Parts: sequence; structure tokens; C-alpha cells
Amino acid sequence: MAQQMFDAFQVIADPSRRQMLMLLSQESRTINNLADHFDMSRPAVSKHIKILYGAGFISIEDIGRERHCTLKQDGFNALHEWLNYFDQFWTSKLKKLEDLLNNKFPN
Amino acid sequence: MAASIKHHLFFPHPPVAVWEYLTNAELMDLWLMKSDFQPVLGHEFTFKSNPVPVFEWDGIIYCKVTEIVPFTNLSYTWNLGPGDGANNLESVVKWELRPTDKGTELILEHGDFALLKHISIFDAMNAGWLQNMNKILNRLNETSHGATNV
Repeated sequence: MAQQMFDAFQVIADPSRRQMLMLLSQESRTINNLADHFDMSRPAVSKHIKILYGAGFISIEDIGRERHCTLKQDGFNALHEWLNYFDQFWTSKLKKLEDLLNNKFPN
Repeated sequence: MAASIKHHLFFPHPPVAVWEYLTNAELMDLWLMKSDFQPVLGHEFTFKSNPVPVFEWDGIIYCKVTEIVPFTNLSYTWNLGPGDGANNLESVVKWELRPTDKGTELILEHGDFALLKHISIFDAMNAGWLQNMNKILNRLNETSHGATNV
């Protein structure tokens, strides 16, 4: 899951991939259809698709000769885990700060 | 769809005592992390914690002091990543100290997550996952409020 968090961030950090997610939020699309929206080589589009798939943001289904992409939940859940990580991080650090201050300056 | 991590603490000590622990690198090391922090506006520094291989994270947090008002306010950027700008996890940490009759209220807000700004472009969407994202953020906010009693 931790790995997925950073994958999720990598997905969101790239404007082309954000646009791909936008397009897929409207409807499921074939890879060819997605590629038509971008001024980049077909291998470059495939690379983005692979990253989206790997991070759990889309699923890919072969229908006939076409590959269809559909939005998937997992990638978005990973973003939440990332925030959760820092929330727990601060909870434990601040506990230490409390212990430290209260030991140094007893009431 | 802004979300941030908030913690609200109370210390039965004057602000100057709490401030020391937020701004003296030696004292910060005792509870937070090793750093070359200096209480100077614009100072760039790093926090060093243990690398987390499963995260592909080297354990380094890149920071810059963006606000400093002695005994009252301290803010710094809080960025993780290889430093090439592309995959950095950018955010901001804000500390606020409020003196009270009995001590000091300390408020931490860790927010301005760049990735959440990106997510806001999806606001127009009505797909199922967006509703879920909202649910997640609501839950996150509840969790943060819960931490108020720490």
C-alpha cells in the first residue's frame, strides 16, 4: 500500500495523466480514442496508460481488437493512505514533544 | 476539497518554552528529527529521518522557512522526493502558539498538499470514485478533529 501511495502521487503529478483521468471520468475509452486527444507518440501514450494501470487508477479490458480503459478506485484510495501516514506521523511526534516538555517542566 | 492534518495541543508552560522546542535544532532532534533548521526567514534546511525503502523514500524532507514571528507563528514548506520537481510531495507545515492564562495552546496544521490541489480539478466529475474521495476526506477531517484531544 505504501508503494501505491507514491505511485498515486506520480500519477497525479503529471498533467497528461490528469487529463487522461478527466477523459475517463466522462466515459470508458479505448486506448486509441485516448491517444487521439494527445499530441504525443503512441508509445508515450502507452507508457502513461501503463503507469495509470500500475497505480490502480484504471482497469484495462480487451474487447475485440480494442483495449478499453475504465476508471478504478484503488489509486484514489492510495492518496488517502498517504495523508493518513502523515497524520499518524504527527500524532506520534507530538506525543514525544508532550512527554519531553512535561518531564522537563513538571507541573 | 481542501484537506489538512490538524493537531491542537495544550502545554502548561509559557510560549517561550514551547517555542524553544520548535526552533532549536538540538531540541527538535529530541522529539521530531535531525535537521539544520535555523529560525531565519528564507532559511533552507532538511529534516532527516530513516529511509523508508517500501516508500522509495530516502527519509529526507526538504524545507524552507516561510514565516517566523517569535513565540507566535512558524511556517515552513515540507517537500519530499528526489528534488527534480516532478514527483515531489509538496506541502506546508504551520505552527501557531497562543498564550493562555495557564500555558500555551499549540496548533499544528500540515496542509497545502500539492496533490490535493491537483485533485480539485476533478471536482466537476460526478463519477462514483469522487463521492468516495469526499467520504475519505470527511473521514480524514473527523480523524483530525479527534486528534484535538491529544
